Amino acid sequence: MDMIWKTAWLNVWRNKVRSLVVIVSVSIGIFGGVFAVAVMNGAIEQRVDAALNDEIAHIHVNDPAFRDNYDIKLLVPHPQQVLGTVRETPGVESLTSRILLTGMANTAAKSAGVQILGIDPPEEKEVLQLYKTTIPGTGDFFGEDSRHYLAYIGHELAKELNIVRFQIDQEVLDSLAAKGVPGEVLKKLSPFSGQRFKSEKSFKKEVKAVLSIKEQHAFGAVIRGEAWTFRARSKMTLTFLDREGMQTGAVFRIAGIYDIKNSMYEMSQVLVKKEDLAELAGIGRNDYHQLIIRLDDLESTEEVSATLRAHLPGLEVLNWKELQPDLAMMTEMVQKFYAIFMVIILAALAFGIVNTMLMVVLERTKELGMLTAIGMNKKRVFNMIMLESVFLSLVGGVAGMIISQIVIGATARKGINFASYAEGLEAMGYPAHIYPAISTSFFITVTVLIILTGVLSSIYPALKALKLDPAEALRTE
Amino acid sequence: MKTKHSFPAFILLSVISCSMTGQELSPKEIIRIADEKFNGEKTSTSIMAMTIVRPTWERTIEFKNWTSGKEYALTLITAPARDKGQTFLKRQNEMWNWNPTISRLIKLPPSMMSQGWMGSDYTNDDILKESSVLNDYTHELVGEEEMEGRLCYKIKLVAREDAAVIWGHQIRWIDKKDFLFLKSELYDEDGYLVRTETGSEIKRMDDRLIPTRIELVPAEEEGQMTIIEMKEMKFNEAIQESFFSQQNMKRVR
Amino acid sequence: MNNLKLAWRNLWRNRRRTLITSASIFFAVFFALLMRSLQLGSYDHMYKNAIESYTGYLQVQHKDFWDEKIVDNTFPYEPELEQQILKDANVEAAIPRFESFALASNGPQTKGVLVMGVDPEKEKYLSGVLDRMVKYHLSPEAIKKIKLDAGIPDKVKELLSLFENSAYTNAGRLQLDLGISDQEAPGLMPDIERYCRFDNGRIQMGEPGVWVGHKLSQYLKLGRGDTIVLISQGYHGSTAAGKYEIKGIVKLPLPDIDNKIIYLPLDICQTLFNADGNLTSLALAVKDNRDKAISGTLERIQGLIPGDQKVMEWREMNDVMVSQMEADNKSGMIMLGILYLVIAFGVFGTVLMLTAERRREFGVLVAIGMQKKKLASIMTLEMFLIGLLGILAGALVASVLILYGVDHPLIFKGEMAKMFEDYGFEPKMAFWPIDTYYIWQMVIVGIMVLIAIGYPLRKIFRLKVVNALKA
Repeated sequence: MDMIWKTAWLNVWRNKVRSLVVIVSVSIGIFGGVFAVAVMNGAIEQRVDAALNDEIAHIHVNDPAFRDNYDIKLLVPHPQQVLGTVRETPGVESLTSRILLTGMANTAAKSAGVQILGIDPPEEKEVLQLYKTTIPGTGDFFGEDSRHYLAYIGHELAKELNIVRFQIDQEVLDSLAAKGVPGEVLKKLSPFSGQRFKSEKSFKKEVKAVLSIKEQHAFGAVIRGEAWTFRARSKMTLTFLDREGMQTGAVFRIAGIYDIKNSMYEMSQVLVKKEDLAELAGIGRNDYHQLIIRLDDLESTEEVSATLRAHLPGLEVLNWKELQPDLAMMTEMVQKFYAIFMVIILAALAFGIVNTMLMVVLERTKELGMLTAIGMNKKRVFNMIMLESVFLSLVGGVAGMIISQIVIGATARKGINFASYAEGLEAMGYPAHIYPAISTSFFITVTVLIILTGVLSSIYPALKALKLDPAEALRTE
Repeated sequence: MKTKHSFPAFILLSVISCSMTGQELSPKEIIRIADEKFNGEKTSTSIMAMTIVRPTWERTIEFKNWTSGKEYALTLITAPARDKGQTFLKRQNEMWNWNPTISRLIKLPPSMMSQGWMGSDYTNDDILKESSVLNDYTHELVGEEEMEGRLCYKIKLVAREDAAVIWGHQIRWIDKKDFLFLKSELYDEDGYLVRTETGSEIKRMDDRLIPTRIELVPAEEEGQMTIIEMKEMKFNEAIQESFFSQQNMKRVR
Repeated sequence: MNNLKLAWRNLWRNRRRTLITSASIFFAVFFALLMRSLQLGSYDHMYKNAIESYTGYLQVQHKDFWDEKIVDNTFPYEPELEQQILKDANVEAAIPRFESFALASNGPQTKGVLVMGVDPEKEKYLSGVLDRMVKYHLSPEAIKKIKLDAGIPDKVKELLSLFENSAYTNAGRLQLDLGISDQEAPGLMPDIERYCRFDNGRIQMGEPGVWVGHKLSQYLKLGRGDTIVLISQGYHGSTAAGKYEIKGIVKLPLPDIDNKIIYLPLDICQTLFNADGNLTSLALAVKDNRDKAISGTLERIQGLIPGDQKVMEWREMNDVMVSQMEADNKSGMIMLGILYLVIAFGVFGTVLMLTAERRREFGVLVAIGMQKKKLASIMTLEMFLIGLLGILAGALVASVLILYGVDHPLIFKGEMAKMFEDYGFEPKMAFWPIDTYYIWQMVIVGIMVLIAIGYPLRKIFRLKVVNALKA
């Protein structure tokens, strides 16, 4: 037995090319499998990411009838108690309370129906990451101290209300020149100098009318960027009905504009400080309409929802799957898609390894024939081949694990992202990032599976090799 | 309060400002007087026609209007046939609508006014008259110009920091003789003109002169304006507060 | 020609070796085609469902409507124009709609609602409003009857109170909610369905009446036969006001829409808004939904309609979904890339070993005088033939599977499936039929083979006969 081990080991090093082929096959196999799973997880996370991290978080708690018509009177009863109960529930990472009202937003030129969210900024930052999407230069998400009422609005609403305007003047033309926009293009734009466009739509239309398609594609995005203007702390009135049903409101200053590429959300959701809204609407300082909860772990959604429902019998507890069932549903469907893709990749892996192993053993036909001819026990030959496979698969396995760890480590932090191609003036903005992620158990499972595949797939060819007639084998060229 | 005139002269003149012939009125006083003429009557009863002009269409609505101070107003639509019989009631901050076609009285939330009252260029803010030209602005006399054959004060109103107004500033022309608002230009915070209101066809209604035709023109829209014509107007007739009630909305003719 | 014959004979000389080598290429092509077909098919199906359930692929609208969705930005519905549009090769149907907002009131309460004026027959091509009609309602009376039925197990009865007042558009979801398995269903469902059958009215053009979302009806406490008042701003600033009888109840899967949706027959809706004969949009159902077909159709229709109207494409109308599609596409590419990596090494590994196995053979040939160039070209031809064999075989087998799969997609069963039905989605994984992607996949594998050939060629040219003979 001892000799077999030694022989096997020596064989491995004797033919470097052959060994390398097996090792690389196995390690590529592991890398492929592990990375595919990681990308799958990352892609699924990314799907729900925007909605959950920026917009709705994980669980909402409110009066059972509240969402029917957002009736201002339907505040959560025993607010402090409920807060305490939720805070102590395991699985809850952070929470914040909100007041919600529907009303109108007005500027000098335009008006729009909006939903006004009264939030607590520091708490809100713990639960949602909307504040990270603030357009740089527009504000600090209630960071600044102000004696005015502040409002944080979406980019689409800002454009609609003409708080964000598109304007071409000498300064803009100069910046464009500094950014390398050629003279002919600037000349075409200079008739607009001093002009403020009525809307984004008319801006695009008029600029497109004077530029060629090529120029639009090349410079459209940068022109749009420079023509974009926003006067800090612009005024906007918010009007709504207070607790008594009387119309009330105030002037708010814009404290930031968020951009999440969800125009519906951006058009309707206006964030203000809860204490300001409470004051204007005649609501108590400690009252609120809704609790927004963030969980430690997305997987525990169902569990924590059930716990909260049990502890808060008079209230409606809805998790993100119930709030956005279409999101949940599409995500589940996509998960099934990925599972099938995984099966395909793993099948390809398996076949690849089997194939390679077949070839490897085939290459040794003469050598094995020789061994049998000099009298080596067939069983021993078999064991020897198997042992070699085991060694090689293990080495390949370890190499594969290391490579996977490195690549996943590198991409998990920065995310994989392809530049989304800008269509001139219609540039979409931030490209989607995928952050690969894989749990340790999965990692180990996949690795073990692949190593096993390597070992098992050498059984057939090894058996085949044994059946060879030594004489014939020796004659092989 | 800014004034170009010397201090003692101002004190003297402000005493006789009510005579309405003073040349040395402070701009704030001028505004105050004009505002009171326009809004300050105890009650008013009027018959008006509003024409909405748009690039591709035009529509005229006729209605009767009763007001009491700034708090109460009742409007009855008399034409066209489709809208006839509808009434609008304003009580302080609330707005109600009665529609006889469907026999329903409903309270109008702010969102119903997003397109302007009855599709016109009059906004929610205009109707509810939340802001005060007097208290929400600082006033400066910037000149004199002639409008409608009358010499007018030209006054610049700059919105106060904390005021609940969305305009950046306004320029108003007030005629020196009768203190009528003959023209207003409304500007946003960036200094761009957003709206112009002009009064013309100054006639005698009841016991005074008023511009009976008002044109409201949004600056950044082509071919768009709202025209109000006052056919009849009576001031300070006795109107009970009970007149401005939901029950009366259904009865008024 | 000589070389080709030699190459061919070499292949069959060592059949095992040939088979194994071409097998690696076969698997490469097979899996690449399979994966790509599933990717393209499944995502297409998923997004198709989403698009077709509401906006459709193309819509004709007043040119200002999308930016300002007000009643004034509606356009007249011209039957002659519709006829012309229907003649287009790619248009299957034209679905007229009038959508707006209004205040709904039951007296004391008012609520902002979404008003949709539809032609229910034509909606079959899109949202299928007729499929949204409530069929079953677990009203308190229905629950009482179910509880009295001895044939129904207790575990079902216990669940009833959880779902009190729920409405259902299909039996599948009802079955799911009540925890009844597929095996138990035939025995229990017919009775349960009977107890909670909901008597719904039909939407018909020309007949005044509204169909109200289930949650909305619950909130306003109005049911079939009750009167509801709608008030809004109509055309040219006129007042839109109307009183209607509630003829039926619908249920939409998204609770946020279900609590504010009202359907009216198209003509009744137009009259309500004083915009008789006008539409907010004319949605088009297409036969071929691929990008090229859609843009072609868009151009043609744009040419037919007057200048104050325009054709909107689905991408413009579904921005959130488009960014999601981009992301899905990218991750799909990454998965495909991983697959390529895996199969590439399958091919390389095999070729490597093949070369190693034949080293002695090469040495002998060169030793007896064959020119390296000739050997190289024979070798290349051999690999070329093996490659061809593998690619064609792989494409053939994949095609058989894909053709079968197109008609028999992978259907997901179970709980999730029933929830999908609520949305009118089919939970399946579809195959994309044979298309241009075939060429790409085969080319990529072909390139892999070409690169792989480089190794043995290199070996041949650097061959030291003495060493080779010793192998």
